[in-house]
Amino acid sequence: MKRESLSCLAPSATRLLRTLLLTALVLTACGAQAAERVTIGMQLEPPILDPTANPAAAISEILYGNVFEGLVQFAADGSVIPKLASSWDLAADGLSYVFHLVHGVRFHDGSAFDAGSAKFSLDRALQPGSVNPQKSRLAKIRAVDVVDRFTLRIRLGQRSGGLLQSLAWGAFVMVSPQSAATNAVQPSGTGPFRFFGWRRGDSVTLVRNADYWGKPAVLSEATFKFIADPTAAYAALMAGDVDAFSNYPAPESFPQFAADPRFAVLAGTTEMETVLALNERVPPLGNLLVRRAISYALDRRAIIDGAMFGYGTPIGSHFPPRNPAYVDLTGVYPHDVAKAKALLAAAGYSLGFAVTLKLPPPSYARRGGEIVAAELAQVGIRASIENLEWAQWIDQVFTRHDFDMSIVGHAEPMDYDIYARDDYYFGYSSPEFKALIAALDDTIDATRRRDLLQRIQRKLASDAVNGFLFQYPRLAIWNAHWIGLGFDNVLGVVDLSRVHDDRVALRGAYIGRAAAARPQAFRFAGGVLAALALGLCALVTRRFGAAYLFGRLAVLIATLLVATAIVFVVVQIVPGDPVRYMMGLQADPDVIAATRHQLGLDIAPLQRYLHWIGGLSRGDFGSSFTYRIPVGELIAERLQVSLPLAVFALLLSTMIAFPVGLIAAAGRGRAVDRVLTSVTQLGLAIPNFWLGMLLVMLFAVGFHWVSAGGFPGWESGFAPGLKALTLPAIALAMPQAAILARVLRGALIDTLHEDYIRTARAKGAGEWQVLWRHALPNALIPLLTILGMQFSFLLAGGVIIENVFFLPGLGRLVLQAIVQRDLIVVQSVVVMLVLAVVMVTFLVDLAYVLVNPRLRVPGGA
Amino acid sequence: MSVADTRNGAASRNAGLVIGAAITAAFVGVAVIAQIWTPYDPAALSIVHKLQSPNLHHWFGTDQLGRDVLSMLMAGAKNTVGVALLSVIIGVFIGVPLGLLAACPPRGAVDELIMRGNDLVFGFPSLLLAILISAVFGPGAVNAIIAIGIFNIPVFARVTRGGALQLWTRDYCLAAQVAGKGPIRISFEHILPNLVSLLAVQGTIQFSLGVIAEAGLSYVGLGAQPPTPSWGRMLNEAQTLAALAPSLALFPGSAMLLFVLGLNLLGEGLRHRREPPE
Repeated sequence: MKRESLSCLAPSATRLLRTLLLTALVLTACGAQAAERVTIGMQLEPPILDPTANPAAAISEILYGNVFEGLVQFAADGSVIPKLASSWDLAADGLSYVFHLVHGVRFHDGSAFDAGSAKFSLDRALQPGSVNPQKSRLAKIRAVDVVDRFTLRIRLGQRSGGLLQSLAWGAFVMVSPQSAATNAVQPSGTGPFRFFGWRRGDSVTLVRNADYWGKPAVLSEATFKFIADPTAAYAALMAGDVDAFSNYPAPESFPQFAADPRFAVLAGTTEMETVLALNERVPPLGNLLVRRAISYALDRRAIIDGAMFGYGTPIGSHFPPRNPAYVDLTGVYPHDVAKAKALLAAAGYSLGFAVTLKLPPPSYARRGGEIVAAELAQVGIRASIENLEWAQWIDQVFTRHDFDMSIVGHAEPMDYDIYARDDYYFGYSSPEFKALIAALDDTIDATRRRDLLQRIQRKLASDAVNGFLFQYPRLAIWNAHWIGLGFDNVLGVVDLSRVHDDRVALRGAYIGRAAAARPQAFRFAGGVLAALALGLCALVTRRFGAAYLFGRLAVLIATLLVATAIVFVVVQIVPGDPVRYMMGLQADPDVIAATRHQLGLDIAPLQRYLHWIGGLSRGDFGSSFTYRIPVGELIAERLQVSLPLAVFALLLSTMIAFPVGLIAAAGRGRAVDRVLTSVTQLGLAIPNFWLGMLLVMLFAVGFHWVSAGGFPGWESGFAPGLKALTLPAIALAMPQAAILARVLRGALIDTLHEDYIRTARAKGAGEWQVLWRHALPNALIPLLTILGMQFSFLLAGGVIIENVFFLPGLGRLVLQAIVQRDLIVVQSVVVMLVLAVVMVTFLVDLAYVLVNPRLRVPGGA
Repeated sequence: MSVADTRNGAASRNAGLVIGAAITAAFVGVAVIAQIWTPYDPAALSIVHKLQSPNLHHWFGTDQLGRDVLSMLMAGAKNTVGVALLSVIIGVFIGVPLGLLAACPPRGAVDELIMRGNDLVFGFPSLLLAILISAVFGPGAVNAIIAIGIFNIPVFARVTRGGALQLWTRDYCLAAQVAGKGPIRISFEHILPNLVSLLAVQGTIQFSLGVIAEAGLSYVGLGAQPPTPSWGRMLNEAQTLAALAPSLALFPGSAMLLFVLGLNLLGEGLRHRREPPE
């Protein structure tokens, strides 16, 4: 009623009234903080949270500018502006910079920021053992001195025109000497937000820093949620699980959001040049004429339309169009099939040639690859597509240069210098180009730099080093009531400092949340299971003697040992180097060696296996490579989702299967039986993930009854948790219910032929009484076996369902770990599931022996 | 009453068998036809014709890259049938000899070893190991076949052993033993021919499970790789386009449902024919 009367007023009046209401509300709340919490979807999860120790773009995307700040920062156009250094002076010889630091800044750990901590930060990045991914960018620094408490001097060995730009990078943010060592898991910077928590595989949460040195943020809390799957991303936005998506992975559905008044969108740009990389070391591609022919063969517009649904800017060289020094070189090689063919003929390849096109996983590469292959075919170049995982791509293409062509995006800002590197993966080597880069680094004057940058672009275009395709777009989507989300910037970070919610304070006061409250129910369930197992063992011992039980236990342990060995061996053959994958494309070799040692990957496999087994027997699964926390903790965290989901699905399927099986058996041969049997046939045939998709499309996207996925955590309450598991449990339960119902019906009908049933009938028992009292208890025996098998299937089989609904469960953990080559996690989870399956089977067998009257005599089986 | 009951049931089971056989034959037929002909090249992109709803030129419409959905479904059927069939063949060729061997008298260590090995493979969460195999050897149709096929081995071994154990007690086996034939020879000459129908039933069931498993693997990106069309990947790609073109999600899912349904009906019909109830 109130809402209606409000909307009748003119918009400005509404706004005024609302402001008044808000003020009143805030006043009456006696200073209680208004809740402003935003949840932002992200494609990739950062491996660790320290931007100075790992090159993953996701780290900076979340933390740069929010938690961590540098001496300087990039403005929207790529120029460098002050941050923790309010100003700086450059010496006349260009060999020393003096930075004047901002006063009164404190790190989140409580220590003060001054020239001492600034020197510490830079020295830490530059020291010999440093794992800083961009360390080579500051190679020209000779020394960093503290001039006074708030003045810092950087002395250079040679002039470095790119120094300020480099200092604006996420890898050179200011860190506190007190807490730098723990930044990987507990980042502490100087920014307007402090780190609050990290649910691995799910989200990172930041909260407002009340003591921020600059203008404090309005937002009280921000959660970054990791959703890599384009479909899940779509569903999460549609269902309102996330308020925004910073780098939306599905351009095909972007126009829908653009047209939807509930959402605001940004089709901006990034620093990522997407190129068709050509390996100049292989014969036809080392030929300039051939490379130019390839550039003529490419129809950039068609590639952008097809792979990116029209989002992306065509480029003619390796340089971002938004940069002031950009020159449009897309006209150098227009799409011209005849010209391409003529050039190929001139190069002696009039019949064309065959090449491999190796593609990494992102959709721009996979889709773009299909189109590029088709376009190359038109000029006679036969490209056979090979799809690679990232780890394989890094191994084959990037490290071993075993490729002809590839499509990949180069995300780093100002990364044209890769063309001057010796033995870089595409193998371009040009003394003239190297001279241009050297000249640029030696130049400080803005106009001359600009001129050099343009010559660099022209040189790359004229040499047709790679097929330059398009500048990758930044597709950001957010709910329209969020104001000030900063998505459009050079580093591609999510700037939260000016964000606020248009509907604020109408939603009530901020309620503090207990961090990581372990659910008691989880431990309770474990206790019940253990008690059950012990009870069963005791019963079996009483009936069959201890020797029987020990015999069974020996077989159980032998099975487990063989299983661990198999898993370990299989996992060892996984191609791809986990450290290479973790550290990224630009990591230094010594950094890689250091990390390998740190992770214990340099010891012999047999030793590693024994170590692992020894740990397992003590309940110690080892430490995750990527997350650097005990695997046991990771698994326990994920079990909080997977275990209840499996139990829920099992309960659902039992609850559906029992009545269906009973009714079908009671009415066997009649219409009701045939209808139910047909329905269960359908249930058997429907793939559970398709059912999940249909349920999401219907109930979450269509009706908005439930959220399309995600898991709020049990700490937010039992009901929301259960609600989040409902659709996945239904999708998982349906096919299982169909199996169970059919087994139950069959078992019931079988027992109906037994003598004791005839006896019961003869004594005048009714149909239902016979079924319920006499047939059902006996039919339960085969059912028990099926239930045991189903439980383990549900526990492990949720892999796909967990991905459809993006639940942070075991299945998702394993898939992520495989992609990240986190071997310990993969082998631990698989072994743990095998252990669970073997244990459940063991217990069910024991129960079976106890229940089945025909097996009561030992050896009677 | 009970006679009419049985006849009715038999008739409906027969109908099930016929329908199941027809559906299966149709899908296998489509898969074979797709080997030599599809209306369009399933991998041919035509960005200008993208996301068309079903029409005269494209009976099932086109996808986000302008590929003909009907052609992709046909080629996907080829892929699905191929993967499921080959994985059943792996199971039969390794599992059946193992089962026969385990059942050979005198049973003892060999039987125990084979059956414990069986339990071990059964103990592995199948989908997880399939994912692991695809991750180790790289995603692709061949590895999907291996991953699914491995799980068919213990199934066929167990079924064969169970059937063979029963047959070993038959008179003709005893007679053959008396005649001096060795257990291996008896297994292949007398037991295997009598197990064919049992194996056909199990083969049909494993085939239908293979269809779902292949779809699941390719849905998470570990099955057949582009440009080879597969139903699972079509579903995955269709998910983001749900509101734009729901038919893209409905066609492959329905095809899968129908095919699995047909296979299940066929398997059940065959089983009832083998062992008529009552």
